[in-house]
Amino acid sequence: MSAAFWAALEGVNYLVLLYFILLNSVYLATSLFAFGALRRYGQRMKSLDLDDLVRGAGAPPITLVAPAYNEEPTCVESVRSLLTLDYPEYEILVVNDGSKDRTVERLVEAFNLKPAARIPTAGLATQPVRQIYRSRRHPNLWVVDKENGGKADALNAGINYCRTPLFCAMDADSLLERQALVRIVRPFLEDASTIAAGGILRIANGCVVKQGQVVDVRLPGNLWAKFQVLEYLRAFLAGRMGWDALDATLVISGAFGLFRRSTVVEAGGYATDTVGEDMELVVRLHRTCSERRIPYRIHFVPDPVAWTECPESLSVLSRQRDRWQRGLFQSLTRHRVMLLNRTYGMAGLLAFPYFFFLEMLGPAIEALGWMSFAASVVTGRADWLFVWAFLGVAVVLGVALSVAAVALEELSFRRYPRFTDLLQMFGLGVLENFGYRQLSAWWRLKGTWSAIRKVEGWGGMQRKGFTLAATPEA
Amino acid sequence: MGELGALLAAAYLRERALLLLVLSIAALLALSFLFAGYTVWLRVRHELRERRWRQLTARWEAPLLDALLDPAAAPAVHAAVDRGERLRFVRFVLEYSRRVKGEERAFLRKLVLPYLDPIAERAGSPRVEVRTRAIQTLGTLGLPRYAGEVLAALDDPSPLVAMVAARSLCREEYPEYAPAVLRRLGRFDAWSRSFMASMLASVGPEASRALRDTLGDEAQAPLARAVAADALRMLKDFGSGDLAARIVEAEDDAELLAAALRLLTTVGRPEHAELIRVRCASPDFAVRASAVSALGTLGLEDDHGRLLGAMSDASPWVAIQAARGLVSAGARALLEDLGDSDHPRATLARQILLEEGGEG
Repeated sequence: MSAAFWAALEGVNYLVLLYFILLNSVYLATSLFAFGALRRYGQRMKSLDLDDLVRGAGAPPITLVAPAYNEEPTCVESVRSLLTLDYPEYEILVVNDGSKDRTVERLVEAFNLKPAARIPTAGLATQPVRQIYRSRRHPNLWVVDKENGGKADALNAGINYCRTPLFCAMDADSLLERQALVRIVRPFLEDASTIAAGGILRIANGCVVKQGQVVDVRLPGNLWAKFQVLEYLRAFLAGRMGWDALDATLVISGAFGLFRRSTVVEAGGYATDTVGEDMELVVRLHRTCSERRIPYRIHFVPDPVAWTECPESLSVLSRQRDRWQRGLFQSLTRHRVMLLNRTYGMAGLLAFPYFFFLEMLGPAIEALGWMSFAASVVTGRADWLFVWAFLGVAVVLGVALSVAAVALEELSFRRYPRFTDLLQMFGLGVLENFGYRQLSAWWRLKGTWSAIRKVEGWGGMQRKGFTLAATPEA
Repeated sequence: MGELGALLAAAYLRERALLLLVLSIAALLALSFLFAGYTVWLRVRHELRERRWRQLTARWEAPLLDALLDPAAAPAVHAAVDRGERLRFVRFVLEYSRRVKGEERAFLRKLVLPYLDPIAERAGSPRVEVRTRAIQTLGTLGLPRYAGEVLAALDDPSPLVAMVAARSLCREEYPEYAPAVLRRLGRFDAWSRSFMASMLASVGPEASRALRDTLGDEAQAPLARAVAADALRMLKDFGSGDLAARIVEAEDDAELLAAALRLLTTVGRPEHAELIRVRCASPDFAVRASAVSALGTLGLEDDHGRLLGAMSDASPWVAIQAARGLVSAGARALLEDLGDSDHPRATLARQILLEEGGEG
């Protein structure tokens, strides 16, 4: 082997080491920030009477925009749950995105929908709208039936027909907690420059659902779903809470986010040519407002909850992660001008570089690391003691971050009431390092490769449905 | 010699790196156990606290309910509260007071008043969250005795403390504090406008005079005046119609103009119509929409044509207000004709007819 080869190999090792140190320093830092931020948040919420704040104090009307595609089995239950939300004034716009099943018919029957007139208040380009329906039974329930155009297109159609100052983008199959809107609207009341706020997503697999509400929070039985519970806790409570404390929220989940309608319309609505339309919109909002020097705030709020069903099979999970990685890649490369650019404040200087170098390029760097390791083994140059020690650090660090996320949950919301749930989550924090994390890195690498190859499409997501509470026989 | 030196240096570096890795593993393991221990401790502490809280509330609830029915039973409530439990009792009453109103709330205030001094001390805490909690408690249960602390909190460097103070002071029982909040409206310019207006309106008609003063005071920021106008609209303060009309005539600030026009939508009179009509041609769509809405509510036959014309406005918001205006002005037939025509806003006409109770 030539000296140049060995020099390159050494260079790769240093790059991987630097990536590892940086990535985990960020994880640790955001976790630590999150500890402070969640403590303060908890104390702050104790000193506010939310009901009084919202009910007595001019809560702005909200439109829930729920895109639905082939949701026949769950759409009626989901809409029923939306109709029971605890908020003074809201409209529900279910946007049927050209479903091939009987989604619209089911809604028409269940809610006595009749064709109705309604004019658009914005002109975002979308696939043609076929018909608009309004419920005779629930005057705040509307259904927009349109040609298929994808989730972003459906959201844009919903925004076009929205006539309230705020709209809530969500998945038609997510379950919002009754107080979710009351809680997520708070930043808009406290700060008029707030243009967007994201809530927390929690995994509903294994939980018991009654009348559209999660009534008993349990860990899922499926191992892959259990790992995702831990992942979501890390991502939301440690990650997003930490970024919010730094005023650098770059992601609001598409399953639950509240937006100022006029700002989103001015920014051009959701991009229909990306599979990461939720992140792309938030990055674009940062970009648009910063470039136009419009004062703005984008928040993550940790207690408004949307419950969602996560994949339980590896094939569906891999497709989901592939799509997320492609969405990340597309959003960041499209707005790469923001990278390390002080015009975009903390978003450009901190969050964007983190997502760009560590989340987007990370899988490729990790793959290089594995290749370099393989080359060292093949050529007999691997220092095994060193390798084991390095892997040991990686595993224990992973465990520390997971246990920290469980601690954050316990410090703040304590949604898992059983002591055995805590113990299980500690165990999962250890177990996930032996297989799940490596799989996850592989899916992300595949996602990056798909993004480079400009692969399109969402990949299917088969839903099992929520575990409904047993109802006594009449 | 040189090669040997390099080998020794490499071995030394390797040893150091290994030591560093082993130390990192030990530190991270310790950290993991620390987090896990902390989590378990949090769970145990929480459950103990919950149990204690349930015991306390069970002990206090019955005498409190008795005392609410018969205030003479108040000493029995005090007797059920040990010295070390007073702050928790205040918390209990604070939560309880959110569920009651009027005389019952006044009784609860009286009941905890002897326990509020330590909380007043906390209003000077360096920690924002502690100050906020203290002001929330004093504002809900300690007025008017602790009004000084709550009023001072309006100038607190923390916007959260100031907001909680303002919210506590804007209550129907204490209209005398509303002017203090109004004087500081400029300080709260980050808050949502509707939030502020609604908060001020919650004081009730007693605040009208102070609100009118603010609305008419040209030295005030347009934002503060706009908020006052919206609060007066919520109060349906008919005495402020002429003042709003003067603003519509003379002011240029779009936000203030729109707020004054919204006020005229509720309290305007036919003699204000001419001033409102001028604003129907404003370049700002929000002003146009508010003007059209105000004209619709006045319901003058002379304006039917103007409202019909506004149905073709470039802004859908203006057209929506025009359609609603036609309905409230009693020109439903005109809207029905438009809905049956091939007018570009025929759909809107049908939509509004349906929403306002017609067949569409």
